[in-house]
Amino acid sequence: MKYSMSKVNGEINESMSEGTFLKVNHIDVFYGSLQVLWDMSLNVNPGEIVALIGSNSSGKSTLLNTISGLLRPSNGNIQFGGKNIESLNPFQIVALGICQVPEGRRIFPDMTVLDNLLIGSYNRGARPKRGRNLKNVYEHFPILGMRKNQMAHTLSGGEQQMLAIGRGLMAEPKIMLLDEMSLGLAPIVLDELYKTLREIRQKGITILFVEQNVKRSLKEADRAYIIKSGRIVLSGTAAKLREEDEIKKAYFGV
Amino acid sequence: MIESISDLYSPISAGILLGGLYAVVALGFSLIFGVMKLINVAHGDFAILGSYLAFAALTGLDLDPFLSLFIIIPIMLVIGFLIQKYLLNRAMAVSMDAPVIICIGISLILQNIFQIIWSPLSRGLTTSYSLESYNIGGVTIPLVYFLDLIVALIVMLMLRYLLRRTYLGKAIVAASQDRRAALLMGINNNQVYAYAFAIAMACAAIGGVLIGLTFPFAPTSGMSFLIIAFGVVILGGLGSMVGTLIGGIVFGLAQTLGGFLFGIAAQMFVAYVMVLVILGIRPQGIFGR
Amino acid sequence: MGLSIPRIGIGKLIFFVVILMLAVLPFTGIPQQWLLYLFLYFVYLAMANMWNLLAGYSGLLCLCPAAFIGLSGYALILGTWVGIPIYLGILIGGIVSALFALLISIPVFRLVGVYFAIGTLVVPEALKYLFFMWRPIGGALHGGGAGYMVKGEFAIDLAYSYWAAFIVGTVSIILIHVILKSTLGLGLAGIRDNDGTAASSGVNVFKLKLYVFIIAAFIIGLAGGVFYFFQGHIEPTSAFNIRWLMTSLLGTVIGGISIKEGPIVGTVIVVILHFLLSRYAGISLLIQGVLLVVIISLAPEGIIGFLHKTQIYQSLLKRTNIKMGDSQYSA
Repeated sequence: MKYSMSKVNGEINESMSEGTFLKVNHIDVFYGSLQVLWDMSLNVNPGEIVALIGSNSSGKSTLLNTISGLLRPSNGNIQFGGKNIESLNPFQIVALGICQVPEGRRIFPDMTVLDNLLIGSYNRGARPKRGRNLKNVYEHFPILGMRKNQMAHTLSGGEQQMLAIGRGLMAEPKIMLLDEMSLGLAPIVLDELYKTLREIRQKGITILFVEQNVKRSLKEADRAYIIKSGRIVLSGTAAKLREEDEIKKAYFGV
Repeated sequence: MIESISDLYSPISAGILLGGLYAVVALGFSLIFGVMKLINVAHGDFAILGSYLAFAALTGLDLDPFLSLFIIIPIMLVIGFLIQKYLLNRAMAVSMDAPVIICIGISLILQNIFQIIWSPLSRGLTTSYSLESYNIGGVTIPLVYFLDLIVALIVMLMLRYLLRRTYLGKAIVAASQDRRAALLMGINNNQVYAYAFAIAMACAAIGGVLIGLTFPFAPTSGMSFLIIAFGVVILGGLGSMVGTLIGGIVFGLAQTLGGFLFGIAAQMFVAYVMVLVILGIRPQGIFGR
Repeated sequence: MGLSIPRIGIGKLIFFVVILMLAVLPFTGIPQQWLLYLFLYFVYLAMANMWNLLAGYSGLLCLCPAAFIGLSGYALILGTWVGIPIYLGILIGGIVSALFALLISIPVFRLVGVYFAIGTLVVPEALKYLFFMWRPIGGALHGGGAGYMVKGEFAIDLAYSYWAAFIVGTVSIILIHVILKSTLGLGLAGIRDNDGTAASSGVNVFKLKLYVFIIAAFIIGLAGGVFYFFQGHIEPTSAFNIRWLMTSLLGTVIGGISIKEGPIVGTVIVVILHFLLSRYAGISLLIQGVLLVVIISLAPEGIIGFLHKTQIYQSLLKRTNIKMGDSQYSA
């Protein structure tokens, strides 16, 4: 069952331009000879918070990795700001303003917190702004400022997630992709993080996040897509999807 | 054989100073191994390339080896960059073994180029100061050994600065800890690898000049330094400058003491056995994780 | 009512015919030079086949064939000084190599991947220096150095050397076939790419590797013994030289790693090169090095692999996101 997309009625920051419109068009993605994504399409509009919800191995990470250029789709295309990006190298995609906060955080364990943040600003566009962005990050996450000379592997899970997000912010992104941010984190920590995401969005950064938890995700997102076994099975505004509780329960047995 | 403990002062001090030389040679090797998980089997031969280039500069242009570094280092940087960018990056995408095989091929190519151009005879970098030695506390130590250690410390400090304070350096470190995450940071891994290899070659060249000043060298000398470099790296642990220096010193001592106690031929044998033993006991090194 | 002919594949038939022809070769009036080529071919073939077995099928990038060859050669030649008949010496050489492999397997197999490669690289070098220092038997010095000559007057007819090489070479081919079809071969297919998954599915990785390592060492030792049987003298630098690795490496890579027929084809080229370039001793190794680099870069799948590739892979090429070991994009 598919719900057609209704108009976005979340908060849109008016200063957002067309340039941050992310469009995935009917992509198939293979891993070797195994197909993992089928005819997948989704949109992210400027200033939105969009959720991609699915269980393990539903293909959600694969989609993010394809957007980030780690994988190539064999059919279809991906557009960002009207430009085709599906055959670009990962570093080029970051330079365009698409930044991923990967699954499992993947901070650099044997570098300091500060160095982790600085490496986030590696791409040319972000380097000159690193001073300002660093201050920004410390405002969002004061604890990172306190721990800035500590080795990253000494941080707790929640702090590492903050570091990963902070690192992403250092890249001057136009859109941030977050892969399973909530993994292994306590609800209280999660609340903080989602609050930060909202603050980030207020500053004009679009967000696409990937999660397993249906309820929480729908609380935070403007719109959502439900992915199962490599296909989009439901989509729509969060409000509408929340109402279709029964259907989701049937799908997921949740 | 040993009449008194003071007989050992000479080989011991020589061994410690020699440690600097081995540490420099090992630095480049460690960089490549750490960042790209690549065993550059030709690393010793690249160091000897530095020795031969210095030799050519010395005999052809009458240029002091340290001064000739100003020419040699840029050459080695370029060679290293090109090799990684066009040969090894592609090989790394083919299979795990392909880069090692390419390095074996390069090793052979280098050794034979040396042989063709400079003949199998041993060479050395003889300068006005290469025969000088100092007498300290009754122990005679050649000047070049002191130079080895001093240069080693300088190189290590410079490399440390590069890795810690520049974007490129941080990118190299990041790429060595998590390749995928580095990509997601906007780092062009292949480019970074090429720069890392270039830097490693520059270190090898410096090591080669030191080698040329300290020992006689021949086309096949590279292998010995490769194995020692490897031993130093696994002993000292990847990514630890202090560890590399200590590893170098340990091997330096092993050599000088081994040679002193068991004869010249034993020098290399002792070093090789040490490498095998270390590999057998603790491949990740004493300082490594 | 007709005769029922046992079904033998055409491939095997051709194989037997060729083998027969090669076996009787010395009886035909074939020029000695050709016999020499073939002798060397079979020696190198056995070594390349075993190297392929280790590196191409078992994930063991073994850089120490020279260790087995040198040890075997020394066992053979020193054996003649303690009264061991020379033909038996070849067998003993193989056994010595196998025992040595067993000895070093314990430390060496704890090393994975590149550590294994370097570890095995060190071994022949260490042995070289060992034999420089150690003179196990006071005997006639070869050229006054650290070498040895075979004791006694020996004019070995090239034919006998040829047959010895022929046998070892053919055995190596048959052995590869047999191993790959056996349970050992299945286990190897599992560990080649990923030790971890294989181990967790109950495969005793260490034991498999050990078997292959010892078998390979034995055959390589035999081949080495045959070579020194023919050459009659030995000394450390050439016995433990990296050239032994190069011929196996080149022969396998040119033909195609991890392909059964790879070494068979590749070694032909190696032998041709060997004799073509024997005049230019210095350049010969240089060219081999260049060839190695070029082939691994441009055609890593070798000749046979290239032939396979043209048919099957075209269709998959578009759809796949993975090349073998695509390290840039994997974790």
